[in-house]
Amino acid sequence: MAELSLKHIDKIYDNNVQAVFDFNLDVKDGELIVLVGPSGCGKSTTLRMVAGLEDISKGTLTLDGRDITQTPAKDRDMAMVFQNYALYGHMTIYENMAFSLTLRKEDPNVIHKKVLAAAEILDLTTQLNKKPSQLSGGQRQRVAMGRSIVRSPKVFLFDEPLSNLDAKLRSATRREIILLHKRLNATMLYVTHDQTEALTLADRIVCMSMGHVQQIGTPLELYLHPDNIFVASFIGLPPMNIFDVAVKDGALVGKGFTVQLTPEQKATLAPYNNKEISLGVRPEDISEGGDMVMDVTTNENLGMNTLVHGHLASNRITAKLKGWTDYRDGDQVRISFGRMHFFDKQTTQAIRKDGKAK
Amino acid sequence: MDDQNIKVDRMRYSKNTQSSRLALLAIVLDVLFFVSIYKYVCKDTTRSDEFYYTALMGASILYNLVFMLAAFLSSEGVKNYKTNFSYVMFVLAAIQIARIFIYPVKAHSQPGLMSDFQFIRLIVYLVASALCLVAGALINLGKSRALAAHTASLEAGKA
Repeated sequence: MAELSLKHIDKIYDNNVQAVFDFNLDVKDGELIVLVGPSGCGKSTTLRMVAGLEDISKGTLTLDGRDITQTPAKDRDMAMVFQNYALYGHMTIYENMAFSLTLRKEDPNVIHKKVLAAAEILDLTTQLNKKPSQLSGGQRQRVAMGRSIVRSPKVFLFDEPLSNLDAKLRSATRREIILLHKRLNATMLYVTHDQTEALTLADRIVCMSMGHVQQIGTPLELYLHPDNIFVASFIGLPPMNIFDVAVKDGALVGKGFTVQLTPEQKATLAPYNNKEISLGVRPEDISEGGDMVMDVTTNENLGMNTLVHGHLASNRITAKLKGWTDYRDGDQVRISFGRMHFFDKQTTQAIRKDGKAK
Repeated sequence: MDDQNIKVDRMRYSKNTQSSRLALLAIVLDVLFFVSIYKYVCKDTTRSDEFYYTALMGASILYNLVFMLAAFLSSEGVKNYKTNFSYVMFVLAAIQIARIFIYPVKAHSQPGLMSDFQFIRLIVYLVASALCLVAGALINLGKSRALAAHTASLEAGKA
């Protein structure tokens, strides 16, 4: 049982720079929360505050109802996995994994059982007598995870653990983390700037920008119903296309294109009639055939899909078309939009069905 | 797995530091011995029965180098539960005891060259060094045999 609660957390450094603003989050027992955002958005700072490596300037942090805001890191019963593994090069894998328990002067037999159990989970049994330098990056990261597992902490904290791995290894290790989470059913907080990791790993995602929480929700919620233009652009690859359009007589009129609205969309946008809004369309929601003409500049074949980059009148646009296409610079493609997202141009917040910006 | 088995199983992933440290301690005691004996023997270089400039002294210096190297290698060997190094340590221990009858006894038998206290101190160093080697070798023999049996049983279990 490990429920973590962050209430009105602020981080203000000594030079008065504020890194985190009013962070609120309730993490349920066994939940995997991913903090995602660009560099400098405050996600690692938040994680370090939870770990006790940074002081919390304002707010309260509770673990299972116990206030641990001022509790030293060593007494928080949390284990952290770092991006750079932080393994001791002169120790074997076994010694690295046993180290924290040895420091606590636990019974060597108990330590042995825990290390072997963790090694079994992480498929490291045959590597225990090796030194970290003899292992691959993925294996080293597994050792770092194993070192956390042996402590049986209440909360696991991951600070961009896959950033040092190549793409193939990252994908494999990501799957291992998913399996590990299922197996341990532990509460985990995971920081990454990679939205693919966030979407694939998370039970819930916390999307951050400039120290502020932009949206908290399941991966699907963030993908289908982004609260604002930042989340819409950050979640999804390639990012969502954003166009400036005006709402006029049941249609969206952009520079060089017009999109007819459905009755439901008209109702949603009724308060914005004759006003400008931002229209968001994901590349995968654009399909071939339709009234709009896209001027192609580049064509990237991905196998099952093709990314076609170009212009819709003067707007830059990227479409993810099904199948293998072979468009060349200067070609014209007729396209249509599927699912559309509407955002208030002033506040950048999503316009919901009631016609109000969120 | 019961506690005794776990204790043996732990050896698969840990070094035999006990034996290794005893071998290193034997080296330290040997260093104390030869530093001391040169000091006491070379008190008066004008004496006609001086020990310092003999072939035996050269051989003694060379042997000390060989001893330190062999004991250090044994220390590393027993650290990894290698049985053969236990036998090397037994031989080194025997030589340490034999060395008592070369320099210390000879020097002590010459009047005014070495006091009783100095003589006993040198013997203590050599005997302690030999005991460390024997103890380290015996511990290693016990542990390495237990580990070999345990590994064999694990292999049999796998098969």
